[in-house]
Amino acid sequence: MRKWLGRLRNAFRPGRLDRNLERELRFHVTERTEELQDMGMSAEAAARLARQQFGNYTAHVERTRDMDMAEGLDAMLRNVRLSWRALAKSPAFSITVVLTLALGIGANSAVFSAINSVLLQPLPFPNSDRIVSVAQIQAKTPQPNIAPTRLADWNRMNHTFQAISGYYTQDDSELSGELPEKLTHAFVAPRFLQVWGIAPQLGRDFKPEEEHYGGPDAVLISDGYWRRRFGASPGAIGKTLRLGQLSYTIIGVMPASMAFVQRNVDLWSVSAPDFPFARSRDLTWFLGIGRMKAAVTLAQARADLATVQADLGRQFPKPDAEIRAGIEPLKEQTVGGVRESLWVVFGSVTLLLLIACTNIAALLLSRAAGRRHEIAVRFSLGASRASVAAQFLTEVFLLALAGAGVGLGLAAAAARVFSMLAKNLPRVDEIGLDWRIVVYSLICAVAATLACGLVPAIIGTRRSLAGSLASAGRSQVSGRRPAQFVLVGVQVALAVTLLAGAGLLLRSFQALGRVAGGFDPGHVLTLRISASWGETGNLKTARQTVRRILEAVAVVPGVESSAATFQLPGVPGTFPVELKVAEGRAESEPKLIAESRSGSAGLFATMRIPLLAGEMCPNESNTPEMMVNRSFANTYFGGAGVIGKHLGQPDNLYFPVALVRGIVGDARERGLDHEPVPTIYYCGLIMQPGLYFLARTHGNPMALGESVRHKLHEIEPARSVYNISPLTEHLSDAFAENRLRTVLLTFFALTAISLASVGLYGTLSYLVNVRQREVGLRLALGALRAQIVRQFLAQGMRVAVLGCVAGLGLAAAFTKVLAGMLFGVSPWDAITMTAAIALVIAVSIAASLLPAVRAARVEPMQVLREE
Amino acid sequence: MGTKKNDILQGTLVLLILKTLAGQKRMHGYAITAHIHGVSDQRLRVEEGSLYPALHRMEQAGWVRAEWGTTEKNREARFYSLTPLGRKQLAEEEESWVRLTSGVGKVLGYA
Repeated sequence: MRKWLGRLRNAFRPGRLDRNLERELRFHVTERTEELQDMGMSAEAAARLARQQFGNYTAHVERTRDMDMAEGLDAMLRNVRLSWRALAKSPAFSITVVLTLALGIGANSAVFSAINSVLLQPLPFPNSDRIVSVAQIQAKTPQPNIAPTRLADWNRMNHTFQAISGYYTQDDSELSGELPEKLTHAFVAPRFLQVWGIAPQLGRDFKPEEEHYGGPDAVLISDGYWRRRFGASPGAIGKTLRLGQLSYTIIGVMPASMAFVQRNVDLWSVSAPDFPFARSRDLTWFLGIGRMKAAVTLAQARADLATVQADLGRQFPKPDAEIRAGIEPLKEQTVGGVRESLWVVFGSVTLLLLIACTNIAALLLSRAAGRRHEIAVRFSLGASRASVAAQFLTEVFLLALAGAGVGLGLAAAAARVFSMLAKNLPRVDEIGLDWRIVVYSLICAVAATLACGLVPAIIGTRRSLAGSLASAGRSQVSGRRPAQFVLVGVQVALAVTLLAGAGLLLRSFQALGRVAGGFDPGHVLTLRISASWGETGNLKTARQTVRRILEAVAVVPGVESSAATFQLPGVPGTFPVELKVAEGRAESEPKLIAESRSGSAGLFATMRIPLLAGEMCPNESNTPEMMVNRSFANTYFGGAGVIGKHLGQPDNLYFPVALVRGIVGDARERGLDHEPVPTIYYCGLIMQPGLYFLARTHGNPMALGESVRHKLHEIEPARSVYNISPLTEHLSDAFAENRLRTVLLTFFALTAISLASVGLYGTLSYLVNVRQREVGLRLALGALRAQIVRQFLAQGMRVAVLGCVAGLGLAAAFTKVLAGMLFGVSPWDAITMTAAIALVIAVSIAASLLPAVRAARVEPMQVLREE
Repeated sequence: MGTKKNDILQGTLVLLILKTLAGQKRMHGYAITAHIHGVSDQRLRVEEGSLYPALHRMEQAGWVRAEWGTTEKNREARFYSLTPLGRKQLAEEEESWVRLTSGVGKVLGYA
């Protein structure tokens, strides 16, 4: 190694080398001159003669220097040249290997590019590892929102944060155009940009006077909105936007990277902390974010905020004594949910690459055996085993490099596939090619070279196997080829593993599609209508607004019924509450924990959730009422006894004690993949941001989208109507990540089984070729063709069956990892396992049968004559 | 040089250098030519154009080690010495040389 480095150094620093050489050669000339002088010559004559005898000085320098560099580099170049020639001679083989590796490396790099962008890269903000999400944790409510005054207190009293800020969003309508345009509007606490550590790409941040109640209404717009609405013109600064009753002046444009915490925000304006409503310690609305000071650990920040909140608890026992502060790294919060999925996909794709390498290793082994003659010649010409093996590896490396090159192209295209298959994947827009992916692909190529090339290089260059020139391969009855068959067995085992995993995910996916949710999602149109939080101030008007909208939707021709709700049934989401019975309840009874939902009276009819007992929600009512589902009634009240009771959430300002009117059927409210849980439905809704409006239609729901929009524009001209889509689309989007990993894994598994069958076919075919003579001889001596077929088939099947057994072992480990992602099947699902094995065996039989039949077709006389 | 056949047969130069170095602790290039010239009774003359490339190739092969030093006349020169690997190589080359010459001798004698 040192020697080699020396050569490289020589190659790159010829100057130093030349100087040293010149010194050495000059010494020689000097000595010679002196000797000639000793013999009586004059100084000049001696010098001239010495020079003359020495010959062409520069040529010597160069030749000698070449010796220093050439050895190593030359051997390398020679290897590359030789390899190139060898590969060009068998283009079919080379192309097969390159494509196999391209698939393996490409798929691997593609998945790695997603892991790199989503999981490994920091969020696109300066020192983004210091940005955390801050939440208010309260036993009574799952909402993490923070009261504005408390947020200000936390920011003022802590010692570990540069700044703590917060935001909330609502969908607004911009009214300066012809039609109201829906915009997602974020209201931020002061210091918002300070937390992210960024400045507007154009214009300026909010001024202090804009952060006070009654100050000028200023707004920052998103890069996307700036391009869409203003054609990216710098003149946008200073223009005004009309949102509801207010006009906002555009003061700046956010950078394009500002896609956090929520994607698709169009506007940011300040929610003034001195706004009268914001004084209450009970009204919570901000989602908190904070930037920790340099060198502060998460634990220190947590301890610091805990101390701050404890102080507040003493100062304002109610409600602060029961509140804690929660801190989570923002990146973790953003991407934590998909980590497991991505690593599973990455693990699968690595198995695929492993199969590809094993496949190629088996191919190479066969090829090495076919090149025994060539290798023997090289040995006899004095090549060392190391140099032959090095040439072997060089060949593989060239192929792997080509494969990695093609693979990179595949990986580059994959970013689009990701955004198509999983548009909800966090940070999906950031997926792309960068130098890390290129380096990663190169590492893959080197690893693949070693994985595929090492075994063939070692086994193929054994002198004994390479044989002597005299006994060239043809006349030998070939021995067994354990190495090749082990490699094929490994491929089969890995293919079984991937098939089992993909099978389980597919079965889960099917099960999810078949599940009866307790409601009917077909023929339901969903849409949203812009609203502001300000409207919620007047409960009566807000309630009337909802009713007016629902009535308007219901009279559109083709609409059967209409409803409004906060949370779409079947789309994952959970809002657990604890309830108390106003009529009293024994202490010994279990706590009343339930999912809570709010819906308009028409929700049950529109979703086809049946009424089981009691009465439906009334259309109008002056007292709060609710419905409960069957699980709730059965679990906590042993049936219909719940009707007529009053249930309330003590200490929750928003939900008054309500009368239970009736019992409805169980629906999978928490997501299609969750069993129904005890659930309560508050009757009636007020107009506010985030509501979904539903319409059950007679025909295709999307066909009514435009007429519903028109109708709504008539009665509510200042509101925009958006996100018009069928309910089924929400359900399938909710499981997009699920779909992504299922599709990917299935694709990998099918590729794996194809590769394994090609491997089996190739190895057996080769064996048949080598043993033609033996087969011919046996046929000549009276063996039956059926026996020959059976023998080769048995050989193939033995490998396949052993591979399956090993594969089941691997699958057991793999499916254990998958267990958390399965739905409706156990990780050891017999049907899936049997199907995987059956598929592998069937493919193996097909792959073995062809060569076996070809073996039996051998014409004995022809083969023997060839000898 | 003239017409006298004093060119060194291709491949034997390495053997000569190895043998020369085997008897000495270390030698510079000039001393090696002088030694071969002298010991062979002026019959063999090593071409500088072959000597230095050969020495450097042998250095890369690990048969000789080179280091800078000063001669008795206080001149800077590059000194070569034999490595254990070189000693092994010498033994092999000597053996094959003997085999070759005795073979060639027999053929000549027979003819």
